[in-house]
Amino acid sequence: MSAIVEMKSMNKFYGTHHVLKDIDLAVTRGEVMVILGASGSGKSTLIRCVNGLEMYQHGSLVVDGFEMPVEADRRLGGERELAQIRKGVGMVFQQFGLFPHKTVLDNITIAPMRVRKKTREEAEATAMKLLDRVGLRAHAHKYPGQLSGGQQQRVAIARSLAMEPHLMLFDEPTSALDPEMVGEVLDVMRELASSGMTMMVVTHEMGFAREVADRVVYIDQGSILEIGQPDEFFDNPKNDRARSFLARVLKH
Amino acid sequence: MIATSIKWTRHNLFGKPFDVVLSLLVIPGVLWLAYSITDWAFVSAKWGIIVQSLRVLMIGVFPADQAWRAWTASAIIGAILGAGLGCVFSFKPHHGLVLLLVPVLLLIVHGGLGNALPATGTVASTILGWALTSYVPLSRKVLPAAAFTGFIVIVAIMAPPGVGLWGGLLLSVLLTLVTSVLSLPIGILLAFGRQSRLSSLRIICTWYIEVMRSVPLILVVYWIWILMPVLAPQWGLADVARGMIGFTIFYSAYVAEYVRSGLQAVPRAQTEAARSLGMSEFDINRSIVLPQALRVVVAPLVGNVLDIFNSAPLVFIIGLTDFLRAGQMILANPQYGDRTFEVLSFLLATYFVIGSMITYAARKLEDHMATGTR
Ligand SMILES: Nc1ncnc2c1ncn2[C@@H]1O[C@H](COP(=O)(O)OP(=O)(O)OP(=O)(O)O)[C@@H](O)[C@H]1O
Ligand SMILES: [Mg+2]
Repeated sequence: MSAIVEMKSMNKFYGTHHVLKDIDLAVTRGEVMVILGASGSGKSTLIRCVNGLEMYQHGSLVVDGFEMPVEADRRLGGERELAQIRKGVGMVFQQFGLFPHKTVLDNITIAPMRVRKKTREEAEATAMKLLDRVGLRAHAHKYPGQLSGGQQQRVAIARSLAMEPHLMLFDEPTSALDPEMVGEVLDVMRELASSGMTMMVVTHEMGFAREVADRVVYIDQGSILEIGQPDEFFDNPKNDRARSFLARVLKH
Repeated sequence: MIATSIKWTRHNLFGKPFDVVLSLLVIPGVLWLAYSITDWAFVSAKWGIIVQSLRVLMIGVFPADQAWRAWTASAIIGAILGAGLGCVFSFKPHHGLVLLLVPVLLLIVHGGLGNALPATGTVASTILGWALTSYVPLSRKVLPAAAFTGFIVIVAIMAPPGVGLWGGLLLSVLLTLVTSVLSLPIGILLAFGRQSRLSSLRIICTWYIEVMRSVPLILVVYWIWILMPVLAPQWGLADVARGMIGFTIFYSAYVAEYVRSGLQAVPRAQTEAARSLGMSEFDINRSIVLPQALRVVVAPLVGNVLDIFNSAPLVFIIGLTDFLRAGQMILANPQYGDRTFEVLSFLLATYFVIGSMITYAARKLEDHMATGTR
């Protein structure tokens, strides 16, 4: 039962704006954690801290056995831990973030070749297996611009998986998609969860959260107000604000 | 057909009273101008002077008995440029026909093979290089190495009579090529330096760029010409080399600004995606950000090449004889004093043709860069 992510009274500021307040949170290996909260509550900021895309100022954050340096230390060049952490943590963004000037295959192989020093043959073999897994083998030699949003997001997931991460972060992976494409991406994520991948997922897909999550975290204005089993959280939220949040999102 | 054109004329040229007046004034004016120019060009102008001074215009005061060296260099440059074009768009027979117009025109005007031979050689090697990279994709891989070797050969072959003797259109082209090629990597480094997290580097790069962009090129060239022997007397650099250094120092700042605008056009999400894959900042900049940035600024960068070519005449300040200066030298000869219009028209036409070719290539390059992405 070891934790892969452990936050202890973690605090983050944008200037004077206190965005994350005394966050205490532990994610166990193999767990799927869904993070819910209203717009602007700090969900993205929270998971972006985990792979160091955002810096935090106080407290501690340990990811996969490495201590993430606080902002002051990173400015002094404490970036070795950061590189180690990023090798083992994948991230999928709302806007896909595929490299438009590279083919699907090159998008997937570039990091394993550059960072993990794999040969092209190895990297391409892995990439083709992953494309099979997300159902896109036939599109290996296309450019991202030639794919639909749902296909691009599945490529983005395959690209992250190619680095053989121990933890995957998802920041609203289906929010930029047309409704008919949401399902194909959620299917891939569901399959990933059942394969035992540790996942932190920010999403507005309540059905997915309830079905796949091991635990649900509710954030409001930078504080964690509730953590619990999905059934418990959705059927019987203890916190008032969580209740009104659920009432608002489930109405739609 | 005629009816529609009459209608068009009525509508566009004689629609309102003001248009009528304007048309009545402008149309005869344009016709008269066209008539006088044609009359002058085909009847009164004595183009013989261009043919007689063609060597000086092309290679300046390079000794006549050594001219073969310069012609060989021209042919090599043609091959390199042609091969470069072939990487961007395929050679088609009509391209060859247009290029061959030059030697054919020379043959007709001059009537002898002697003067047309160098032009024929250059055009032929351009076509060969172009066709090679168009139809043998493998040859594109060795092009950078081949071009570099070609450049060394050019220097070696043209050096013996004295580097100080380089001149004419050949000098203008060489200066443009060297400056364009060198200022690109320097400009890219400056652009990254200007965004660096190291504040000292950032300040130095910003200053460099701002200073260069606020002073005239001619002054930079002159300063470098004076300073190089003081700073590095042991190198004994020739005027030509000092001129190229001055141009490169100056134009790198402009390249840096274009590249910087390209860098800013690359979405932050691209960097974040690459970071979260664990890529190093160096790899991210080299493989993700820079290629996308350059793609955006192809047009201004090629415009910069045109700018360099059109600014080449400024090297007269350090005593070099470029294409324009060669024309002036010919006119300085009292015997040819009354041929000003012929010589200047030829210069103008040549600059126009070369400039148009660069613009044409730029458009093709943009199309080429755009394919595949979207
Ligand atoms: N780069 C930034 N500079 C300053 N403030 C920021 C920045 N990014 C986010 N914030 C602020 O931090 C707070 C949390 O933002 P965050 O993006 O984490 O919210 P979120 O829960 O992901 O919202 P959403 O559902 O809209 O994505 C917001 O108040 C936002 O305005
Ligand atoms: Mg967000």
